[in-house]
Amino acid sequence: MRGIRQGSWSIACVCMVLGFMLAVQFRTTQDIKGNVPFQRVEELSARLLETEQERDGLREELKLLRENTASSMGTDELRKQAGFTALEGEGIIVRMDDSTMTSKAGENPNLYLIHDDDLLRVINELRAAGAEAISVNGQRLIGTSEIRCAGPTLSVNNVRSSAPFEIRAIGEKKTLENAIKMRGGVAETLKVWGIQLETELSDNVRVPAYKGSLKFVYGHEIAEQGEAQ
Amino acid sequence: MIKPLLGLIAGLLLGYFSYINIPLAYAKLFSVALLASLDSVFGGLRAAVAEKFDNTMFISGFFFNALMAAFLVYVGDRLGIDLYYVALLTFGFRIFKNLAALRRYLLKRH
Repeated sequence: MRGIRQGSWSIACVCMVLGFMLAVQFRTTQDIKGNVPFQRVEELSARLLETEQERDGLREELKLLRENTASSMGTDELRKQAGFTALEGEGIIVRMDDSTMTSKAGENPNLYLIHDDDLLRVINELRAAGAEAISVNGQRLIGTSEIRCAGPTLSVNNVRSSAPFEIRAIGEKKTLENAIKMRGGVAETLKVWGIQLETELSDNVRVPAYKGSLKFVYGHEIAEQGEAQ
Repeated sequence: MIKPLLGLIAGLLLGYFSYINIPLAYAKLFSVALLASLDSVFGGLRAAVAEKFDNTMFISGFFFNALMAAFLVYVGDRLGIDLYYVALLTFGFRIFKNLAALRRYLLKRH
């Protein structure tokens, strides 16, 4: 090519500088691409380690605090009543599962599934019959426990579980059974929809302790005042 | 045409085997500077083909443009104005314009 007569040397020099820059930039970009996921992995694993250490520390602290509070007088009884200890005694085990019937055309298939309110009714009956401790699928029910619909599952103590449900209740077993099975009661209503409900009486039902922790952030203790204000 | 190509290849090799690394924080500035240089080179080639080449103008333009572009982007970063994209657009536009002109000159001559 005869085109370039002027300044070919300067263009050559400049091209060299340009080539240098190009190569450096190319390598830098390559490095960045290669490095970022690696850095991310390291960062994430470091964070995981940190969180795990924090968790272990907190667990240790919790244990210490529990020991300290347990040693003071009278708290054992309170802990039992609050549901922080596992209990064993005579009682009933209720097992519930979704209906085996197929829904007829045009019928809402939801009717054949166990819902939070079905479970709530059973638990309400058990409580009315004097159950001392109740657990649902291994989750102890305490004063702040919720039973609510969580998509296709139920959430108890913010732990999700799905059918079949096993409700364990400690109390006088005959009374508990009668409360569930009385005429027009829960068992009969649920049977209409084919929802399976079995009861098993036992002399040593085990109900686990509440596994979470309770911390009151918004409520403050005040001296009891009279009803009239 | 041989000399610039040889220069480019020499520069590429030099850059590839040197141990210079751009820190991540300046990668953006460097890329803008690179784009400005690329634009200058194409502009110079075009001028050379059109036989309107000015050595001083070319060399000064090359370095001045690159430094100015990087500086402007830096200042923009500090002020919260993303001049990066403005520089990208401007230089990208000019590169294509220069390339088109270069092609036209070369085609006309043959």
